[in-house]
Amino acid sequence: MNRKTFINNSGRLILLGGLVYLTGSIIFKRKVSASGKYVWQIDPFKCMQCGRCSTQCVREISAVKCVHAYQLCGYCDLCGGYFKPNTHKLNTGAESQLCPTGALKRKYVEEPFFEYKIDEKLCNACGKCVKGCGSFGNGSLQLQIRHDLCQNCNECSIARMCPTNAISRVPIEAAYQIKGDFKNPALTNPK
Amino acid sequence: MNTRTRHIILAAAILALAASFTWWLAHDPVPNFTKSLPGSDNRPPRADSLTELVHIGEYFFAAGGTLTGGTETWPRFRGPDFDNISKSNIKLIDGFGGQIPKILWTIDLGEGHAGAAIYKGAVYVLDYDELKRSDILRCINLADGKEVWQRGYRVTIKRNHGMSRTVPAVTEKYIVTIGPRAHVMCLDRLTGNVKWGLDVEKEYKTEIPFWYTGQCPLIENDLAIIATGGKALMIAVDCETGKKVWEVPNSKGWKMSHSSIMPMKFGGRRMFVYSAVGGICGVAADGPDAGTILWTSSAWNKSVVAPSPVCMPNGKIFLTAGYGAGSMVLQLEQSGGTFTAKMIDQYLPAEGLACEQQTPLYFEGHLIGIQPKDAGALRSQMICVDPSNCRVPVWTSGSEIRFGLGPYLIADNKLFILNDDGVLTIAKPDIKKYIQIDQIKLFDGQDAWAPIAVADGYMVLRDSKRMIGMKIAVE
Repeated sequence: MNRKTFINNSGRLILLGGLVYLTGSIIFKRKVSASGKYVWQIDPFKCMQCGRCSTQCVREISAVKCVHAYQLCGYCDLCGGYFKPNTHKLNTGAESQLCPTGALKRKYVEEPFFEYKIDEKLCNACGKCVKGCGSFGNGSLQLQIRHDLCQNCNECSIARMCPTNAISRVPIEAAYQIKGDFKNPALTNPK
Repeated sequence: MNTRTRHIILAAAILALAASFTWWLAHDPVPNFTKSLPGSDNRPPRADSLTELVHIGEYFFAAGGTLTGGTETWPRFRGPDFDNISKSNIKLIDGFGGQIPKILWTIDLGEGHAGAAIYKGAVYVLDYDELKRSDILRCINLADGKEVWQRGYRVTIKRNHGMSRTVPAVTEKYIVTIGPRAHVMCLDRLTGNVKWGLDVEKEYKTEIPFWYTGQCPLIENDLAIIATGGKALMIAVDCETGKKVWEVPNSKGWKMSHSSIMPMKFGGRRMFVYSAVGGICGVAADGPDAGTILWTSSAWNKSVVAPSPVCMPNGKIFLTAGYGAGSMVLQLEQSGGTFTAKMIDQYLPAEGLACEQQTPLYFEGHLIGIQPKDAGALRSQMICVDPSNCRVPVWTSGSEIRFGLGPYLIADNKLFILNDDGVLTIAKPDIKKYIQIDQIKLFDGQDAWAPIAVADGYMVLRDSKRMIGMKIAVE
């Protein structure tokens, strides 16, 4: 085989490979971004709040933040995401709070309901509130990669360390997978 | 370099060091530091719900149904023997065979988790009717679900993860209920006539627990036994007259929990064991000193306590609670008529048997319960432990079989487990391994947490918005 034939055959092979990939993507309904852009994303159903998001991100303060799905929130007075376990005084004193940076704020709505908001500037993605909310409440607090902060590295250093492979690249159109709007794929598409 | 120059350099260095040190001392490295202090959530002083005038048992409605009778009873929370084990000889189904058991009736209820009591063919459930804004005790015919009568009173309750959540106590003569805001109502069982009412919150300055009252009342020897919190720890009220027979002073200021009073016999004494927010106590149930505290322990002090104490024959008491509290095992000891409670183990939910809402079963010397979501690898699994070491499971249901916060009981030597979403499982109660027999989705439910009641071959269960009655006896 001469060099010209080799190059021609290689080109054909690459074209064929591309065609097979495209066909396969359509057949297996692989999510393809219309815009061709992809972002890193956390699947809240896989996340186990190990705390690595707080320490592994290349950003000095992690690009991962806690977000709140209000439609899931019970607006509880005794919030498992806000208070340390077995706290007897349900007030905003630092000694009662679970969040080490005071990023989770609560405001009285009406008896007996409270609204919880996250101050993202203070959130360091430790996931303690998410774990507390998921263990005792409805799971309305979740960790998400904020794309205004994420540098969209070619290889996400948090994804590399994530013990449950909860972080993956998704089309930018599905940038935020938040419980409530986002259903657990394992349940919606059971094998 | 001459001496003068060296001195100048040295002085300059000292000055620079002094200036740096002064700057370091004076500099605030966290200029935006804000203190998290109590009160920044703008929470007002505790709402004064005591101003609402509630006429307990003010109205009655004959709904037209007729009681067709029955012989068996499930007269209170955890059944006739307080153990959630039915002793009935009626043979119950072994499995579902892929088909839902015949649901005889369905009744829409206000959002809540109040379970039913059954007494000789009558089902009693304390509902909250949002349209009428009333606590309503509903008497329903077990066989056909037709409502016989209602007795209620207007009281304002807001939705807060359900409203109703208690099981009435029923005897041949009386019915005693506790509403979400601790209104106690005593009725004549047959007629539904009001005997008396007691506004515990108003009379005892009780702090109502989060998500409303979960304590189920107890009737013993025609006395209604209520753990009030507030000015008293526990009271006994004559069901016939409404007169207080005894009151236990609440010297330590313990608060009402969701836990219910459990009777226990130990050291020759019958006692009422109550797990309050603040501690646990045993109160003499009979004798000349009835109504006096036999023992207390503040070792068990959790902010939210829903499961009731599991009192074991050898004086061991198993205590458990949710919200990260874990569990504790106490050993009662008696010497010369004096009782003491000694803590023999305490651990977090991930370290042994723990339950968030339901009270574990005590079966053949073992404890069976469902782990909470913060129990690590065993989360939501049913596990069985030997009380001598509650940290090591004898068996678990396995990582593939997990449950929720729903109830479970034993009847006809079958373990019935209801999941949050209406899936009913039948397992074989066993102290060596978990043996699942069958499982079926009964209904598309949500938060099916109310205790199950079983009598005369019927099972009464509910989710947050409806109650169903079904026949589970073998035809």
